Amino acid sequence: MPKNTVIPFGPQHPVLPEPIHLDLELQDEKVVRAIPSIGYVHRGLEKLVEKRDFQQYVFVAERVCGICSFGHGWGYSKAVEKLMNIEVPKRALYLRTIWHELSRIHSHLLWLGLAADAMGFESLFMQSWHLREIVLDLFEQTTGGRVIFSVCKVGGVRRDLDAEQVKLFKKNLKMLRQELDSIVPAFLNDSTVASRLKDVGVLSEAEAHAFGCVGPVARASGLLEDYRLSQEDAGVYLELGFKPVLEKSGDCYARVAVRLKELFQSLDIIERALDNLPEGEIFVRPMGFPSAGECFARMEQPRGEAIYYVKGNGTKNLERFKLRTPTNANIPALLHMLQGCDLADVPNLVLTIDPCISCTER
Amino acid sequence: MDTIIEVKPQEMLGKVAELREQGYRLVQIMCSMANEQFELTYNFDKKCTLTNLRCFVSQGEAMRSITEQFWYAFIWENEIHDLFGLKFQNILEGLDFQGRFFRMTEQFPWNPNNGVDLGKVKGIDASVTNAGGEKNA
Repeated sequence: MPKNTVIPFGPQHPVLPEPIHLDLELQDEKVVRAIPSIGYVHRGLEKLVEKRDFQQYVFVAERVCGICSFGHGWGYSKAVEKLMNIEVPKRALYLRTIWHELSRIHSHLLWLGLAADAMGFESLFMQSWHLREIVLDLFEQTTGGRVIFSVCKVGGVRRDLDAEQVKLFKKNLKMLRQELDSIVPAFLNDSTVASRLKDVGVLSEAEAHAFGCVGPVARASGLLEDYRLSQEDAGVYLELGFKPVLEKSGDCYARVAVRLKELFQSLDIIERALDNLPEGEIFVRPMGFPSAGECFARMEQPRGEAIYYVKGNGTKNLERFKLRTPTNANIPALLHMLQGCDLADVPNLVLTIDPCISCTER
Repeated sequence: MDTIIEVKPQEMLGKVAELREQGYRLVQIMCSMANEQFELTYNFDKKCTLTNLRCFVSQGEAMRSITEQFWYAFIWENEIHDLFGLKFQNILEGLDFQGRFFRMTEQFPWNPNNGVDLGKVKGIDASVTNAGGEKNA
């Protein structure tokens, strides 16, 4: 009977952009069990809601994560708007959708670069991050910020797009689409990439459901989990003809393919939103403070569903804010996938759930 | 506003089993302090619609784990234990981290009655190592 060895994976590891910690129990080169521990950079941001008023807290919510920052600001605002019965103008919802989908492109490109780096495909890593720069430039041109924008607020958005900006937006999107077309074959048709990712970390549809998976991890296993299908936010996504991307094989390769296809899907959504941008106000001033009560709001973040809970007590400060992040929901599936895999596949497996420890350690 | 159905703590596991039978997915378990009690809210989703269950547990009492229905509930049960100090009973074998899921220097920081330094708690040896083999600060 071989003796088990325990090796720590993280919190600092070359493949990890953020500090997650796993203790890997090995028998020779096979992982027998993975034990996670969280809290290495826990920040207690939820608790800060007691010290900042409900409008100031949007800035804190945005800082939960630097990649899906806009989505967190929107998710928090959405929960407070629900609590205060605020109807957000349609133009503001469209603008939020545009910036949120652009954040998804940013997130997926960043992740694709990291995935390429983990596979040792350095030129693909550089190409992915080069394209990410186009997205960051677009953010800067339309919001003034590259990572944290602070354009979302309770009741709507702070900035509008004029005709000139819409034109510039479309021009840059066209350029981005052309450049994306050139990197997709490198991810999907390259034999080295396929040999590292195909049939590795297979998660069936039934398993994805049983482990509560969300986002691209669920959709890569054929599980239809996408909150953009809901009627919330006046069904803006459905109006824009949104259809979720699904893959069937449930392996690492499928998780890459889903994210690649979602890049083009987000480009389509943004283009349609720009073409159909409704006229009107972009902001409704909230009257008074959030009433006593509680509610939930949900968002489909780049990594999957996030859920925002707020509890008001009639004062300017909320009593409780709670955020369930997509990484939190995908960790159990990761632990399952790691069981029985080769030690050499651990980096790819960990990366394909796209863990965001910044979000998880809110 | 969202509807939250209040149930007794001892009835929670049965209700959770019913929802699982109906194809619901556990979204999260969250905890707040309410009048010196733990306020537990369980969210479930089916086709983009939430169903919410709530129960109240007094300080010093333990809550029955739902890991036998949704094994991945251990993520939230351990988190709630580590942040608030509420003990969950009958967590499936190997999924109870016994206070070492979150790496913290303070024990139960979000429970106003237990916000004490780990090293000063009677019976807890501050030199014990956590899951990663590091010493507690």
